Amino acid sequence: MASIHLDNVVKRYGAFVGVKEMNLQIADEEFLVLLGPSGCGKTTTMRMIAGLEEPSEGDIRIASEVVNGLDARDRDVAMVFQGYALYPNMSIYENIRFPLRMRGVPKNQQDALIRRAADMVELGDFLDRKPAALSGGQRQRAALARAVVRQPQVFLMDEPLSNLDAKLRASMRVQIKHLQRKLRITTVYVTHDQIEAMTLADRIVVMSRGEIQQVGTPDEIYSDPANTFVAGFIGSPPMNLIEGQVHSGRFIAPGIDIAAPGHMHGNVTLGFRPEDCGIAPDGQAGLTGTVYGIEPTGDSTFLTILAGDKQVEVKAPRDFRAPLDSCASIALDPARLYFFDSATGQRMRSTQ
Amino acid sequence: MAGRTTRGESLWLRYMVLGSWALVCLVPMLWFLSIGLRPRTEIITPQPVYWPTFSLDAWHALWSDWPIGAYLRNSVLAVAGSVVIDLILAIPAAYSLTRYEYRGREDIGFYILSTRMMAPAIVAIPIFFLFRNLGLLDSVWALMLVYAAINLSVVTWILRSYMMDIPKELEDAARTDGASDLRILWEIIIPVTLPGIITAAVIAAIFAINEFLFTLLIASTANAYTMSVALANFTGGSDGIIYNAIALVSFLAFLPIFILVVLIQKNLSRGLTMGAVKG
Repeated sequence: MASIHLDNVVKRYGAFVGVKEMNLQIADEEFLVLLGPSGCGKTTTMRMIAGLEEPSEGDIRIASEVVNGLDARDRDVAMVFQGYALYPNMSIYENIRFPLRMRGVPKNQQDALIRRAADMVELGDFLDRKPAALSGGQRQRAALARAVVRQPQVFLMDEPLSNLDAKLRASMRVQIKHLQRKLRITTVYVTHDQIEAMTLADRIVVMSRGEIQQVGTPDEIYSDPANTFVAGFIGSPPMNLIEGQVHSGRFIAPGIDIAAPGHMHGNVTLGFRPEDCGIAPDGQAGLTGTVYGIEPTGDSTFLTILAGDKQVEVKAPRDFRAPLDSCASIALDPARLYFFDSATGQRMRSTQ
Repeated sequence: MAGRTTRGESLWLRYMVLGSWALVCLVPMLWFLSIGLRPRTEIITPQPVYWPTFSLDAWHALWSDWPIGAYLRNSVLAVAGSVVIDLILAIPAAYSLTRYEYRGREDIGFYILSTRMMAPAIVAIPIFFLFRNLGLLDSVWALMLVYAAINLSVVTWILRSYMMDIPKELEDAARTDGASDLRILWEIIIPVTLPGIITAAVIAAIFAINEFLFTLLIASTANAYTMSVALANFTGGSDGIIYNAIALVSFLAFLPIFILVVLIQKNLSRGLTMGAVKG
C-alpha cells in the first residue's frame, strides 16, 4: 500500500516524445485510471511505474522512495496485461505460485495464499489446468489471481478487459473494483474505454499525445471538461462540438443563434451533451436543422440533426419519431452549455 | 448418412495419397535393406531377380571384418556431443539476439548466419592445421567441435525464430513477478521454446551425421571414423566396391534419425505457446 508520485517525468524514443513533462500524484489506496486513445502515452506511463521502461527525465516515487533505476522485480508492484500473459508451460496453480517463488515466500505459506487468491476470483476448481484449457474470462481471472496473491504495494492493469466480449467485460469490471476496494491496494488502470474509466475510477487522468489533458473525478471529467479533447472523448455519444463565431453576445453558427456570455468574442466552439438538449416547442429553438437519422435504443431515441454541414446528436424520448429530412427544432439548456476557444481548444469559463 | 459416406471416402482418398507418398520416400531405404541382405552375386547381376534370396551373411561379415561398433560409437558420441554444445551456446545467443537491444545486434545475427554461407573447402586446410596443433587429430572430440561449429548458426537461427514468437508480455509479466533474466530464460523461455529446441536439435543431428569432408580430414583410423566416412572405405581396396556393406551402413546411419523424427513428430508440430495470449 503506497502512494505514487511522478515528478516531471519525460519519456523519449529518439526524437519522438512519448510522455511530456508529466506530474501526477496518486494517493494511497486510490483507483486511478489513465484514459486516452492509443498512442497517447498511457501505457508508457504505466510501464515506467512498473519499471519495465526507464523515464528519460524526472523521478518516480513509490511510497516516497525514488524507484528510478530500480528493476521491475525489485519494485513491489504486480501487473495484469491485456493479453493475460499466463505462462503456458505451467498450470494455473504454478502460474499463481510463480511470484511467490520468485520473491522467496516460504514454501509452507504458499499453498494457503494460492488457494485464497484463486478463490477470490472463483478459480479454485481450475488450478490443475493449463492456461490453454481456460476461456478468455478465466484466463484473465487467473492473471488477476497471480497479481493479488502476494499483496503488492501497487497494482498496474494494462487494458485487462479489452480482449473480452462486452458482457464478460461488464462483470469483470465489477469484480476488479470489488477486489480493489477489498484489498485496498493503490491501483493504476490503463484503458481507452471511457465507460471502464467512468465506472472504475476514483480519479481519471485523460491523456492525449503524451500530455495530461485533465485530472479529476469521473463526475468532474464528465460535467466540467477542461478542453475540447476531453469533451469529445468522454460520453457515449460524446459531446456535440460546433465551431462558430461570437458577435456582440450571440453565438452564431449554421442553424444556431443563442446567447453567449458577454466577455467572449471571435472564434468559439460551442459544446453541449446530447442529453442536455431536447425537442423544442415551436418558436423556442436554439438550434434548427433537418433530421438526418434516427436510432432507437430502447430506453431513448438518438436523433442526428444536420445543422449546416455539422451533425448534432440529440437524445430524444423513446417514442420520438420523425421523417428523414423534416425540420427539427432543438432547445438547448443554457445552464449546460460549454464554450471553448476554437484556436486552443481550451475551455472559456464565464467570469464570476 | 450421406454426409458420413462422403467423409469416409475423402478420408480413404487422403490415406491413399499420403500412403503412396510415404512409399515413394521409403522405397530407397527398403531397397538398400534388400541390397544389404542379398548375396553379392545376386545384387550385381544384370538380369532381374524375381525370387531374391535373403541372408544375414553380409551383416555378419560386416561386423567381423570391420570395426562397425567403433564407427557407430564415434558417430553417436560426436553427433550427440555436438548437439549438446550447440544448444548450450545457441540458447543464450538466440535469446540475446531476440530480446536485448544493443548496437549491431542485427549485424551480429547476420554474421552468425553468414558462417554457414562459407564454402567448407575454404576452411578445410586451416581447420586441419588447427586440430593438428591442438593434438586433436583422429579424435572424436575434434569431430564434436567441428560439427558443433558447422551447425551453430543454423541452431541459433531456428531458436531465434521460435523465441521471436514468444510474446514480450510474458517476459514483462515474469519480470514484475520478480524473476531475474536467468530465471526467465530457464523457467519461461526454454520450456516455451521446447518444440523449437527439439526441432533444432534434430536438424543439427541430421547435418552432423551426414558430415563427410571434415570428418575425412580429421579422422584417420577407427579412433574417429564415423559411419559416413566408413562408407568411403567400402569403395576401394582389394575387395572392390562392397555393395552389401555400403547398403547396410547407410541403412544403419538412416535408422536412428528416422526413429528420432517419428518419436518427436508430435512435439515438432505442437504449438506450446497456445493459450499464453489471446489466440
